[in-house]
Amino acid sequence: MSTDSKNTTVKLTSMEKQRKRTDLIIEIIVIFFSLIIIVPILIMVFGSFKDSTEAAKFNILPPKEWHFENYVYVITVGNIGRALINSLVVTFFSVLFCMVPASLAGFIIARRTTKISSRSQTLFMIGLYAPMNMITTFALLRVTGLLGSYFAVIMVLAASQIPYAVYMVSNFVRNVPRELDQAALIDGCSSLRMFFTIITPVMKPILVTTTVLVTMNSWNDFMVPLYFFNTSSRWTLPLTVYNFYGQYFRDWNLVFANLVITALPITILYLYAQKHIVSGLTSGAVKG
Amino acid sequence: MQPSKLRIEKTLYPGSLIIPAAIVFGFFYILPIIMAFVMSLTDWNLSRFYEPKFIGFENFEYIFNDPKFLLSVKNTIVFAVFTATLKTVLGLVLALALDRQLKTKNLMRTIYYLPAVLSMVVVGIMMKSIFSLDGVFNNLLGSIGLDFLQKDWVMNKSTAMAVVIFADVWRWTGFNMAIFLAGLQGIDKEYYEAAKIDGASGWNMLRKITLPLLMPAFTINIVFNVIGGLKVFDQVFIITGGGPGFTTQVLSTYVFTNYSQGLLGRSTAMSLILFIFVYGSSSIVNYILKKKEVDIS
Repeated sequence: MSTDSKNTTVKLTSMEKQRKRTDLIIEIIVIFFSLIIIVPILIMVFGSFKDSTEAAKFNILPPKEWHFENYVYVITVGNIGRALINSLVVTFFSVLFCMVPASLAGFIIARRTTKISSRSQTLFMIGLYAPMNMITTFALLRVTGLLGSYFAVIMVLAASQIPYAVYMVSNFVRNVPRELDQAALIDGCSSLRMFFTIITPVMKPILVTTTVLVTMNSWNDFMVPLYFFNTSSRWTLPLTVYNFYGQYFRDWNLVFANLVITALPITILYLYAQKHIVSGLTSGAVKG
Repeated sequence: MQPSKLRIEKTLYPGSLIIPAAIVFGFFYILPIIMAFVMSLTDWNLSRFYEPKFIGFENFEYIFNDPKFLLSVKNTIVFAVFTATLKTVLGLVLALALDRQLKTKNLMRTIYYLPAVLSMVVVGIMMKSIFSLDGVFNNLLGSIGLDFLQKDWVMNKSTAMAVVIFADVWRWTGFNMAIFLAGLQGIDKEYYEAAKIDGASGWNMLRKITLPLLMPAFTINIVFNVIGGLKVFDQVFIITGGGPGFTTQVLSTYVFTNYSQGLLGRSTAMSLILFIFVYGSSSIVNYILKKKEVDIS
């Protein structure tokens, strides 16, 4: 008896050891391959502080001298301040005009059992699968006199992301018990008030995740501003940076500084909100 | 459903709350798609913006006889197939590795996902520097004695597409990983306990438990990878601009080329083909995978 249990323990610890060894090997491999991500980013970040000749060598060594003035130059000459404000305005309002309507619609679609639910779901699914038509959108905006305005770019970005947001929210709400809503009705709430006081707090996890993802998409979008902003004074950061690269492609230090400025705000947002991303993807995308 | 219950549903969840989303989406997304069916049949041009003339299927005839268009269709398919496969497979491998109890698990997840939050402009210009003549990639080749392979990878006709594919895989593999990780979290650990008692090997557990239960995550990743691959624009526009020659021109960038020449009718017809192409293939892929999900469960 005692030898028997001893044997099992020995077997278990050897299995445990085996697993630990496998984990260690996997860990080393995973860390090694992460260099493919880290090295380019390091070259960019370090390069942005180098002088022009040193940056053009594209190595991962830190700069011999830190040229902070690269950033000053890029911000003043590259029109970055203006682009930053444009990006903030476009991102903020496109997220707002996407998230508020989409979370209302996603909630109703998940709750209603009638045709209105399945039909509108089919409608929004088109946007999930099909690309928008840039040419006729351009025409529509021109005919309505919206072309080139902030409003146009904001609404097109919002419209193109409403399907994703509706999809995420409705998948999440399907797993929220209905009893909650009925309790609100008994208390005599109107449906809008119920939505904002009782349902929204419950939906908070999925709303946070979806808002973060939509924010990233709006911030990074290149195609919509490219097609619909005809004056450079309204360009967002990605477009301004692309244009700057076209003019200064020999000064890699300045180009890199420009890229860092574009990437920094969204990277900070990501590091701050990253724990919500996987949990939100679980409840909003994979479970549905 | 009883009528009273239906009435409760209607008061509690008024359909009118769908209207704001339907209006924004309908006006700025669906309406242009409907317009495209009409305008693709005209000789519409930027210089005669308000006087398009009906010309039947002439645009489509022209397009299907345009070798550049056919080449861009081919390039689009090549891009989509390679990126979708690589992103799904690498994303799965990463997720399986980072689902284990590694010490640096969280840090590694953060690093691998990071490219997905960067703008394609940032990624694209970075890749241009890496694969340029004196970039890191050539230095690396030189340091391991493969000097003879050194070249300007972006400007070379036979390697430009590979660079664009690499950039896209670099950017989106972490996102695929995150979807798979989300799927792995949803798998009940009891299955593995039971399998272990039955003496199942790790490989068998992966094949018989993990992969089948990851099917929903596979569906999401593959469908989004196929859609993203066929719609590809930024990657190509920023890194190669469709060149060198015509070797990386894809549908979306060719539409843009025609649009910037003022050929609105023709480019509308092209983007309509792109629409049908993407909508069709993603629906088919989704249908097949959803059916598989049902078969398994």
